Parts: sequence; structure tokens; C-alpha cells
Amino acid sequence: MREFWSRFSRNRQAVLGLVILGLVVFVASIANLIYPNDPFLYSRFPLSGPGENGFLLGSDSIGRDVAAGIAHGAKTSLLIGLIATLAAVFIGLVFGAFAGYYGGLVDDILMRVTEVFQTIPSFIFAILLVAIMKPSIESVVIAITVVSWPAVARLVRGEFLSLKNREFVQACHTLGMGDFRIMLAEILPNCLSPIIVIGSLMVATAILVESGLAFLGLGDPNVMSWGFIISDGRSMLRVAWWICTFPGIAILITVLAINLVGEGLNDALNPRLRERS
Amino acid sequence: MKVNTLVKFALATAVITFSGAVAHAQQAGGSLVFLVQPEPPTMAGYVSTSGPIGLLGPKIYDGLFDYDNDGQMVPVLAESVDVSGDGKTVTFNLRKGVTWHDGEAFTSADVQFTIMDVLKKVHPRGPNSFKEVVSIDTPDAHTAVFNLENPAPYMLRALSSYESPMVPKHHLEGQDIKSAKLANNPIGTGPFKFIEWKKGQYIRLDKNENYWKEGRPYLDRIVGRFVPDASTRAAAMEKGEVLYAAYNAVSNVEAVRLNKEKDNISVTTDGYSMINPMALIEFNTKEGPFTDAAVRRAISTAIDRQYMIDTIFFGYGKPATSALSSNFAATGLHAKMPNYPATGDIAAANKILDDAGYKKDGDGVRMKAMFDLIPYGEDWKRGGQYIQQVLGEIGIKVELRYEDVPTWLKRIYHNYDFEMNLNYFYQLSDPVLGVHRHYGSNMIRKGTHFVNSSRYSNPDLDALLSSGMTEPNAEKRAAVYLDIQNILANDMPVVNLFELEFLTVYNTKFKGAYGSAMGAYASFSDAYID
Repeated sequence: MREFWSRFSRNRQAVLGLVILGLVVFVASIANLIYPNDPFLYSRFPLSGPGENGFLLGSDSIGRDVAAGIAHGAKTSLLIGLIATLAAVFIGLVFGAFAGYYGGLVDDILMRVTEVFQTIPSFIFAILLVAIMKPSIESVVIAITVVSWPAVARLVRGEFLSLKNREFVQACHTLGMGDFRIMLAEILPNCLSPIIVIGSLMVATAILVESGLAFLGLGDPNVMSWGFIISDGRSMLRVAWWICTFPGIAILITVLAINLVGEGLNDALNPRLRERS
Repeated sequence: MKVNTLVKFALATAVITFSGAVAHAQQAGGSLVFLVQPEPPTMAGYVSTSGPIGLLGPKIYDGLFDYDNDGQMVPVLAESVDVSGDGKTVTFNLRKGVTWHDGEAFTSADVQFTIMDVLKKVHPRGPNSFKEVVSIDTPDAHTAVFNLENPAPYMLRALSSYESPMVPKHHLEGQDIKSAKLANNPIGTGPFKFIEWKKGQYIRLDKNENYWKEGRPYLDRIVGRFVPDASTRAAAMEKGEVLYAAYNAVSNVEAVRLNKEKDNISVTTDGYSMINPMALIEFNTKEGPFTDAAVRRAISTAIDRQYMIDTIFFGYGKPATSALSSNFAATGLHAKMPNYPATGDIAAANKILDDAGYKKDGDGVRMKAMFDLIPYGEDWKRGGQYIQQVLGEIGIKVELRYEDVPTWLKRIYHNYDFEMNLNYFYQLSDPVLGVHRHYGSNMIRKGTHFVNSSRYSNPDLDALLSSGMTEPNAEKRAAVYLDIQNILANDMPVVNLFELEFLTVYNTKFKGAYGSAMGAYASFSDAYID
């Protein structure tokens, strides 16, 4: 663990990313304490600039506090990112593991299915899915999951393909271990690091896709999110710049932070890769 | 720079002084470029009431009458109208010497054909407006006598060139009216002639030199431009590329900004009283949480209508005070009713619900409901979010649902699978034309859009509605509608929120186009460029 940290911390940017991400998580976790009111609560002061009428980052068209929206939106964005990624990684693991381990017909069938999903442009596919189901937090998570698992499946399949013929796996076979046990206990731990890296990057993508969907009006109208604030303020950009700007910055630095952390993880988990470069 | 500004200021002052001295110096010539949003499907205003057709059609076609901003009738193709004592014979005296753009004379036969064979058959609202017309006699070329089954006072409110354009019999007779060539090559009697339609770009109309009105029109040309992108439309207005934009072609927020920042750009809400849009909430009165009128009254009492107007529509709108729009006051059909507070009263609303026996649970929730929002853009979404908060304060926890247009229409008007629905309706120029469809038992028409989706059915109200339809005496008619408004203010199958005010954004050098109640749907024969 200490060795991992020392390798991770060698990448300064990764540490910076981790600090920012920690900050975002902190804000999300205390959102209910600092802004106990519903973030949708309207007020008598619409379109107040930052600092006016007690709004730290201004208020939107019906007088909702942009700062409160960003704090509560952080919770939504992170949660959607995490849940969608976990679900996508799980599905991708199952598909990739079976395809890579068994090969042959199983591989063919599973990979053709994966390709069907991969050939559709992911964001447009997500829009389609949310439009078919009604826009809600569940349908957004499902849409993001559906469009992001194929990448994991391809990666896991590749790892399983290369690991399944290694000596230690063959040794397991001769010891009479079952297929599932070999896949779960032997191969999986050895391909965990690239999965962690791709997973961390997928959280960032998921946050972006969620914001994009909300921006297009396909977010859950009952849940505050960053994309929702931006979509609401978009038409007033020339009158009230702050509505779009602050949540935009929040998305930018969060996604950047997650990408930096992902890169740091990559460096720390694949030390040889780094030494080579 | 500074000198330049000074010179401009001096010039402007001079112009103002000068134009003051020679008031009404309308000058002939010039062309008007204005925004038409979106591009119209055809130019057949006698087949479709689609908005963009209305922006151009009435420049080409005339109606029998126009209406001024006070709702008074202004003679156009008819010089006068006489209604018989029993209200069943309506005689129009037509203008003499009017010709179609192709040179043929306009006669009473055209009127007869337009009403009986076109509007009564293929127009969306014509069958309703001219329902009572049994036949039309044409004793001479300039007299048209309408024989009615029952008196139909509302018919005289539906004679504008937008609602009922007069079309040339010799171009439509014997053809399938919906597919006749006239749709894309309109020939009317109006102040402007159709010249060219560049698909995706513009429609061009030129001055009709033989227009019946002496010295009109002033303009040489009208060009309706199609600009699909909202911010490009605002920019075109800002730069003076277009001089006129109606029906929120430039959004409220941009309109307010341009009005403030630009000296030569103004906004007006005139010209929409015949359209008469009303924002409202429809309730499912047959099942779900809103079957009790007390709950609907509580919701109407809680909502701060003025707040919604001020914040969401930037001050453009009037709080509703009855089931009927205050624009009907011109014909005596509007009265201020209780249960429509302008600023909302949470305490009173809570009391109504307490008295009706709806108890709050530990979380302060009395009941839960699903709230559908009209999918026509973010203003409506914001309105829904505001109402959600207010209803939370009186213990009604609602969840918002925002779907695409076909799904929403199907849910509300085909399946009745809703509890409450934010919407707006055109009340039009008479309650018979725009309001009856919302409340009558005969208007519970599964699958027909924008009718009685609440499935509210009240025999007393039905009787009043049918007598309101045929009562020729204005005073007696007003009394009937007073009873109707009283019933609806108590039962509230629909809670009216506010009278929407659409915005027309215009360049101040474009003048003379603001005197008709039809607004952008008027002929522009008096319009000129200063």
C-alpha cells in the first residue's frame, strides 16, 4: 500500500486531482448541512448576480440559489457517475470474462452482441434510451450503463485471453480447480489494475453524459444536477452569465480531477508502463 | 467619436421635432423584412390555422371584417352587416369594385363558396364558427345573406382574414380543396400579391397596385424570412436585418434585453387579444387525488400568479380572474370571480384542505400526485418547478413529468392517464370558439386534442353553454356567462393561471402595423417604414 502511494504521489497532478476530487466529495457530503433547504426552493429575487441578495454565486430565473444547486448537484453527479460505472464494470466483466475465458462460439456470440452496442454513437444512443424511457434518475443511470459497458467488456476479454494460457492458470487446471474459481480467484485479481483505471475514467465520462442529457432537457426534472442548472440558464447567457458559468466550472474541474486521478492510478498500478516511457 | 455621437443626437432631435410637426406623414415605398417562425407548410390559410400561415396569409387574402384593438369590427370586404331581429338572418353588404390579384371581380358568389364549400368543410375551426349557417343567398353581386338555423352571435367574431379568409371561387371550384394548386400560389384580394417562395429562406410579397383601399398599401414589398435558430433571430433583430418579430420569435428574455439596450427596438403585447392564450392546469376529475373540487380550489388559491408572470415570463401576462379571459370584457362576457387570488394565499389554501378533512402526516404531506408539464420549452418547466414548491407548502407532494409532445398528447387526450397537467389554451375571440371545448360534456372526445380532458360533466353547465351559444341579446348572454363563470370558479375542473401575453419585438422605424386586434395576423396595409 505504501509502495502504491509513493508511486501515485510521484505524479503531482494526480495528487492535485485527488485533492480537488476530495473537495467535491466533501461539498457533496455536507450539502444538506450548508444548504438545508430544497435546492429547488424559489425566492423573490430572480436573476441576482453573484453576491447580491445573499446569493454567493447568484440566483437563477426563478430565484433559486445557484450555489445550493451546485452543492446538491455534486451529490447527484457523483452518485450517477459511481453507480453507472459500477454497473457498467460489472456487466462488462461478466461479458468479457466469459468471452475471453471460453473463447470459440461463446466468444463469438458475446462479442457480436458487444459490437452491436459499440457501433451506435454512445451519446446519441443514451439520448435515445432516455427519450424512450421517461426522463428520470433511473433511466439516466441505465442509459449511461448501457452505453459504457462494451468498452469494459473488450478490455476484460483481452486480459482474460492473455492470462488464461499462463503457467499459473494451467497449474490451477492440473490441480483440478473449477472454471469459476479460476476466473474469480486467479485471473480476475491479475487484471484488476486496468479495470480500475478504465473505471475511474468512466466516472468522468458518466458525469459528462449526465450533464449533457440534462442540458438537452432529458434529466430528471425532480433532481438537481449541474447539467440541469446549465440547461436552465442557457437561454439567459447574455443576461445572467453566472447561471451557466459556475456549474460549468464545477463540471470542468471535477472531470479534470477524475481524469488526473485516473492517470495517477494508471501510473501507480502499472509501474513498468511508466518506467518504459 | 464623441462629436459623432453629438451629431447623431442632434439629428435624432431634429427628426423627432420634424416628425412631430408633420404628424402622420406616412411615406409610401420601402420593403419590410420580418421573421416568420417556423417556415409555413403551405399558404392555405383556408385549410390550416397554423401560426406561420397566419403571418403571411392575411397580407394576401382579405376577410369580411377586421377588428381594432378595442375589439370593434372594422369593415374590409364587407362594408356593413345587418343582423335580423331573431338573429337568424345575417346580411353582408359587400364592397364594390374589388378585384382578385388575377383581375377577376370579387362577388357575393365568392363569399358563398368560401363559407359553404371551403371553411365549413375543410377549415379546422370553420365548422364550429359557421355551424348554424344553413345556406347563403346571393340576391345580387354585392349582397350575401346568411340563413342561420339558430342565432350565432359569435360568428361575427370569426370574420378576420386569418380566421376566415375569402378565397377565389374560380380557382377552387370543382377541385379537391385540400390539394388545389392555390395552396402554394395564393391569389387573394389583399394589399400584397404573392411573388416568390424560396424554400428554407423566404417568401416575397409585392404591393397590389389595384388594392381597393385608396393609396394603400404604403409598402412596396414584404419579405418573410425563416431563421430556425433562436439566437440568430435575436441577432438579426438587434442588427436591424429584420424589423418585426411576433409570437415570441425573439424569446422574452432577449426581447426584454433588446428593449432596454437598444433605442430603436421596442416590444408590444398588442395584437393578441383575438388569440387570447390562457395558461392553466387541467385536472383529472374522474380518478386520482383531484376528484374533490375543494382540493382544486385550494391549489388555485395557493398559486402566486403574479410571481409566475414576473419571474418566468418577465412581467408579460395578466393574472387570471375567472374561467374566461379578461379580453372578453369588450363583449361583456367577463366577470372577476373569487378563488383566483393574484398573489396566492398559502394560509387560506391550507385552511380549505384542513376543512375538507385532508390531514397532514408526519412529513407535512397530505397527498401525492404526478404533475405533467406541457413540453413546449423551458418556461413551462420552470413554471412546473415553481408550482411543485408551492404545492409542497400546502402539503401536496407532486412529482414532475416532462415527456415529448406525442407521448404527452397521447397521455392527456387519448388515455386520460394523468392527474394534473400544466397547459395553455387559445380562448380565441369568443367563448364559444375557444372555451366551450374545455368544459362541455359533448367535448369529452377521446383522442381529440385540446378539448375536455378533465372529463368534467355538469348538466347545468351544459344547458348554460348551449344557451350562451345561441342567445342573440348581449345583456342576456352576459348573464348566462356570469352563471357559467360562477359554476366554474367553484368547481374548477381547470384552474386558469394567467393570460399569456405574447411579445412582438419591432424596430421603431416600422410603423402603422399595430392598430389591429389581429396583430401580426393582420394585413399590414397601413404599415410603413419611417
